[in-house]
Amino acid sequence: MWAQSPADLRLEIAPLKLEIAPGKIVHTVAYNGSVPGPLIRWPEGKPITIDVVNHADVTEIVHWHGLWIPPDQDGAMEEGSPMIAVGQERRYSFTPQPAGFRWYHTHTFAGHDLKRGLYTGQFGCFYIEPKREAGAYDQEIFLTLHDWNAYMGGGGDASMDVFYDYATINARMLGHADPIRVREGQRVLFHVLNASATAMHWLALAGHELTVVGMDGNPAPQQAKVQAIRLAPAERIDLQVEMNRPGVWILGETRAEVRKAGMGIVFEYANQQGEPKWIDPPETLWDYSAFATREAVTVEPDERIPLVFESKFRGHGEFDYWMINGKSFPKTDTIQLKEGKRYRLMMRNKSSDDHPIHLHRHTFEIASLDGKPLSGLRKDVVVVKANSNVEIDFVAANPGATLFHCHQQSHMDLGFMMLFRYV
Amino acid sequence: MQWLRLQKRVPRWALPTLLILFCFGLKCANAQGNYEIQVYGSDTVAPRTTMLELHSNFTVEGSYPAPGFQFTSEGVYPTNDAEHETVEITQGVNSWSEVGFYIFTSARGGDGWQWVGDHIRPRVRAPDSWHWPVGVSLSMEIGYQRPSFSKDTWTMELRPIIDKQIGRWYFTVNPALERSFHGPSVPDGVEFSPDAKFSYDFNKYISGGLEYYAAYGPITGVFSFHNQEQQFFPAIDLNVSPNWEINFGVGIGVTASTDHLIVKGILGRRFDWTHHRAGGSESTQ
Repeated sequence: MWAQSPADLRLEIAPLKLEIAPGKIVHTVAYNGSVPGPLIRWPEGKPITIDVVNHADVTEIVHWHGLWIPPDQDGAMEEGSPMIAVGQERRYSFTPQPAGFRWYHTHTFAGHDLKRGLYTGQFGCFYIEPKREAGAYDQEIFLTLHDWNAYMGGGGDASMDVFYDYATINARMLGHADPIRVREGQRVLFHVLNASATAMHWLALAGHELTVVGMDGNPAPQQAKVQAIRLAPAERIDLQVEMNRPGVWILGETRAEVRKAGMGIVFEYANQQGEPKWIDPPETLWDYSAFATREAVTVEPDERIPLVFESKFRGHGEFDYWMINGKSFPKTDTIQLKEGKRYRLMMRNKSSDDHPIHLHRHTFEIASLDGKPLSGLRKDVVVVKANSNVEIDFVAANPGATLFHCHQQSHMDLGFMMLFRYV
Repeated sequence: MQWLRLQKRVPRWALPTLLILFCFGLKCANAQGNYEIQVYGSDTVAPRTTMLELHSNFTVEGSYPAPGFQFTSEGVYPTNDAEHETVEITQGVNSWSEVGFYIFTSARGGDGWQWVGDHIRPRVRAPDSWHWPVGVSLSMEIGYQRPSFSKDTWTMELRPIIDKQIGRWYFTVNPALERSFHGPSVPDGVEFSPDAKFSYDFNKYISGGLEYYAAYGPITGVFSFHNQEQQFFPAIDLNVSPNWEINFGVGIGVTASTDHLIVKGILGRRFDWTHHRAGGSESTQ
């Protein structure tokens, strides 16, 4: 019996009073009493067992985001993974793959309760070590972005949206965490995760260029230098930065009001002192194609699947309902796939919101953005901007129920989900 | 006729400060009428944003001149068949305050198009971070109107605003207090002039509801119903774009002291002086 042998890792879900700055306490739920949860580093292809104990006051589940694992282990009840009842525990057992920067997080419904689901501190980084580590660096740093104390706001001309009081990097507000210490001449590899429930974030490291080497844990075909990065909820990015400008700097959100809300961390070169400095980066446009090959995918898909995203207005004082092809989950059509076939999802976003779209248990390749063909950029989350078209290709190589959804908690909770299924 | 204004949100010191100011005396015109007919919501204009509104109100059936005279028996221009055009410019100061400025004008056959007066209106609101269950703001409006349009020439108003949006329903109440500094209403002291509105979102773009405007008279002794101002405006709001504000209504006065029939329209345009949609998906700025 599994219970007789200790697991490789144990995660305990429990309420936490998280101090994000002196005197600023957030009441949340977390793994093992910390936010983010423990960093899981595990060799690719080596089986792992993880016991999860639920001490929270609602049923919970843990999703292993970006991993090619069976649906009953993936951690989404819609695919068939069992929920973990209050006071109970469950063992997850799988072989982590593919290599790269993945993460884990709760996958529960929050709805109008903005203290549940991804609004909490239930997330952590999962780094699957490749058999051969690519790249050379002197320091490796994991950064997690999150927003706290969510509330419904807006109204007026639009529907309600989610707003936050605080924003943090690694669960601390700017100026209240130990600085990241570097030395001139070092090459630092950052793994950055946007673990916000709904908010898109822009980050820059004052006075430094950032080289994007990977997206969602997969190597970028084009390693482009940028002044700032954009991360939608659930997106990850791997960055290399040459430490070539001694001083004390801020790595933070490019918007002053979000930095003021806490999203930033101090970056300190050896033997440098003084007040941390911020320099606004030049205006940066974000375009996935800068990191992809600007040529069409050479393999034709076996089938094209059109998907139209729309919202259903429910009042200026309410969240919208979301629909895929005219239906809201759980009434969305389940699409039957055939193992081994290559599919192209032709996504048309007819709404005025941006949607970070996530496909569970698979990696996809971006095939086009608003009609411009691309190839080589492999991800598990892609932003389909308002009133835009995005096409992605994937191979049905991991049988079972596969969840497809917008990663904004308030969208997925209100209908923006559907299933693919194949055996 | 009172100055009708009704719209949609303060550090903690601001509310008591305005209340203290009010206690030193105010009134925003139990004077002339119908220049800005709008029930306020609690929200304020965003920082680095300017809201430009044109309030166009036509009094189909209002006050008449006294026989043989240009003016009414109260000595002011009549409102019947008068077109009132008011320009309102509101500048967002920060996430919880704004300042509005009004230019009131009137056009009527035989009287020409005339400047009526100007008001200034700072406003503060309870910031989102306070997480109040309702939106709350407080505006203070002070200004001058020419004696040929209002015998109370210098007036002040303190307007608390409480609102709430629940799904498709929206409610707001403005229990305003007014005071005249110069004119015949000075002895009346503080007067009570509440406004309210409820509306329903028929869809994303069209909301309809009922607006209510009243002037009850001095808080120390309200007027008889006959002498009160009571007006109901069935009205629609068109939410065609976040940058545009469109409101249209027809007002029916139900007391002898109220203009009996008014058609009103508001056309507003928001100017966002930031370069791009902050935090949008395409650009850092």
